[in-house]
Amino acid sequence: MNELVVATELSKVYRGAKGSQTRAVESVSFSCRAGEVFGLLGPNGAGKTTTLRMLSTVLAPSGGSAVIAGHDVVRDADGVRASIGFLSGNTGLYPRLTPREVLAYFGRLFGMQEATIAQRTAELSRRFGMDEFLDKRCDALSSGMKQKVNVARTVLHDPPVMILDEPTTGLDVLASRTIVEFVKECRTRGKCVIFSTHIMGEVSRLCDRLAIVHKGRVQFLGTLPELRARAGDDLEEAFIAILEQAA
Amino acid sequence: MKLANVMIIARKEFRDVTRDRRTLMFMMLLPIVVMPLLVTGVSRFAINQMKAKGERELTIAADPLARNQLTTLANRWLTKNALTIGVISSKLGLDTASTLDGLGRLSERAELLRSQSGDKPGEDAAMLAQMKAMEEMTPDQQQFLSDIGSVSRLLTLTEWTTLDVLPAAGDGKLAQGVTIPKDLPPALADPRVAAAITSKEKTVHAAIDVPVDSLERLIDGEDPSAGVKLTVLYDSSQSLSDEAFDRLSAFIEAISRSEMRGRLSAQSLRPGFIEPFELREANVASSSRKSQAFLGGLLPYIAILFSFFGAFYPSLDLTAGEKERFTLETLLLAPVSRLDIAAGKFVVVFTTAITAAVLTITSMALTFSYGVLPEGTARVFHLEFQPLALVLTASLLVPVAALFAALLLGVALCARSFKEAQTYATPIQFLIILPAVAAMMPDLETELKWAWVPLMNVSLLMKELLKGNYLWEFYGITLGSMLALAGLVLWAASRLFQRESVLLRT
Repeated sequence: MNELVVATELSKVYRGAKGSQTRAVESVSFSCRAGEVFGLLGPNGAGKTTTLRMLSTVLAPSGGSAVIAGHDVVRDADGVRASIGFLSGNTGLYPRLTPREVLAYFGRLFGMQEATIAQRTAELSRRFGMDEFLDKRCDALSSGMKQKVNVARTVLHDPPVMILDEPTTGLDVLASRTIVEFVKECRTRGKCVIFSTHIMGEVSRLCDRLAIVHKGRVQFLGTLPELRARAGDDLEEAFIAILEQAA
Repeated sequence: MKLANVMIIARKEFRDVTRDRRTLMFMMLLPIVVMPLLVTGVSRFAINQMKAKGERELTIAADPLARNQLTTLANRWLTKNALTIGVISSKLGLDTASTLDGLGRLSERAELLRSQSGDKPGEDAAMLAQMKAMEEMTPDQQQFLSDIGSVSRLLTLTEWTTLDVLPAAGDGKLAQGVTIPKDLPPALADPRVAAAITSKEKTVHAAIDVPVDSLERLIDGEDPSAGVKLTVLYDSSQSLSDEAFDRLSAFIEAISRSEMRGRLSAQSLRPGFIEPFELREANVASSSRKSQAFLGGLLPYIAILFSFFGAFYPSLDLTAGEKERFTLETLLLAPVSRLDIAAGKFVVVFTTAITAAVLTITSMALTFSYGVLPEGTARVFHLEFQPLALVLTASLLVPVAALFAALLLGVALCARSFKEAQTYATPIQFLIILPAVAAMMPDLETELKWAWVPLMNVSLLMKELLKGNYLWEFYGITLGSMLALAGLVLWAASRLFQRESVLLRT
């Protein structure tokens, strides 16, 4: 099995003022292989974003481990970051730069050659229909255009692992569709995609396997048919049933 | 830390911040355009105000008889000294000063020549000769020249009014803080006189009491050894009232000097008889040295302050601003270390801080050196800095800019938003003003112990360097301690860039 993401007993404890502690994630384990879309479901505050931030090395785990494309998130953070494309509502664009400048900047940071950056920029611009606004400042773009640029930035260095944290939140139908198509394409091209959401429609259309996270713990791990078999045919009802069992 | 990554980040950040109007304003527009305009405007305004005050007609209240006596004394002084006035006028390149107008021109001319003493280049031969004549004048002649101004001002710029109409002018109530001095002559003791002088209408600027009988005897020569006690009531908290007192006192001193000379010569005595000691003031500082002393204090303050301004917006924009725009997390996902990110941002903020400081000093020095200032002041502020002093001054700006860049980056990184960062960073501005202003404190000497006080050491040392005093030990301690401090703050800031609780606080 070609598992590109392996999370083992991942935990995260936030320390607050006066020594208080919040356990945001507790012993989360799952894995995801190439060509697979893995869904991470959960209500707000379940620990999805914290888990994905640990996988992307933005946060250091308090316990457990994770290996991405052979790189350990603690010991080889640079290797992990070079192997992932991360997209979320918290990954913004520089408003005073143009999409071309943004792509060039990240291309350089990922160690790409100038010629390769130019070639990839042209390819992605065609692929996502960005030619018209490639040299306009990002602060002049619509949210749909910005999302396209963000997606292009995510795949610029052609990483084997894609981590998408609620990527359609706040987007209109058309822009959401771009993302959904993009995820499908990633799977076709053999990428490993970890996708967090709370929209059941996206889950049923995209996810090969999924984990339901609630109160920092994995409450369910398996395929969609397995979820239905355990909690009923209606996905939303099944999701709520799992959450209620965990309560 | 990888230098290549640091430079990639720095190049991008520099492009980003230079597209920000606020940064451009503080880094370029303020130093290059606004400061020179401000300095020029303020100095023009101040000089015009001073000139206007000097040329303004002031109202003085006095008994009609006293007024006539004072005018008589002034005219008598002019007649008695007509010959000397003529000689001095011709020395200063004026044909005649026999009229009151002529006397005014003579005073102005003397003032102009005096303001330019010590500066030689670029003047025509006649002017140089007149300046030389001014310099060669004896202290007595110099005093006489200023007495001409005092006497002519009393005659031409005084509007007289009588004491008995005063109560009608004011409402008779004394303003807060007004106290009537004890033992005043009866004419001035009436509270309504003080009320008129201190009233908002400012119709009367001062009142003078003259014992008319004694003065009459003095004028008529009946009592050649008499002393006449005059009293001036004025309000020193109001500039025009203060000016009225100065004019009256200068006038009384002028005629008093003349009277004294007359009495001594009548007794065949020399001035030394009543003035056994005479102190001659011999100041070696030329006007450009004096201006360097002034600017030496002003420039360090402005350089330090503008270095801070230069760092302010970029540091907030590149930290809290990035958090607000969600671009910081995007950057954290790139395969570069957080130290690289901190270093890249530091390079940019350091550059804007030092650019702002250097541009400010340069534009200020050029403003003071090349004549956009009003006539008379441009040459007073003429500057000649030694290249070594400028190099050493610039070297001091390096740790200053580094300190501000690191400090502001660290503080602003802790904030959730740009606005919150402003709330944290603004008080720092007040903290730096106090040590930065040290060089402008006239009585603060540059002692070695101050070399250990951050920013105050830079401020004081820059002042000394601009005066041409190379205090090497002071310089060594200042540069060393400032670099150490900047390094320490930079280290602390880079530690903050490693802390996820700070980086992701939104």
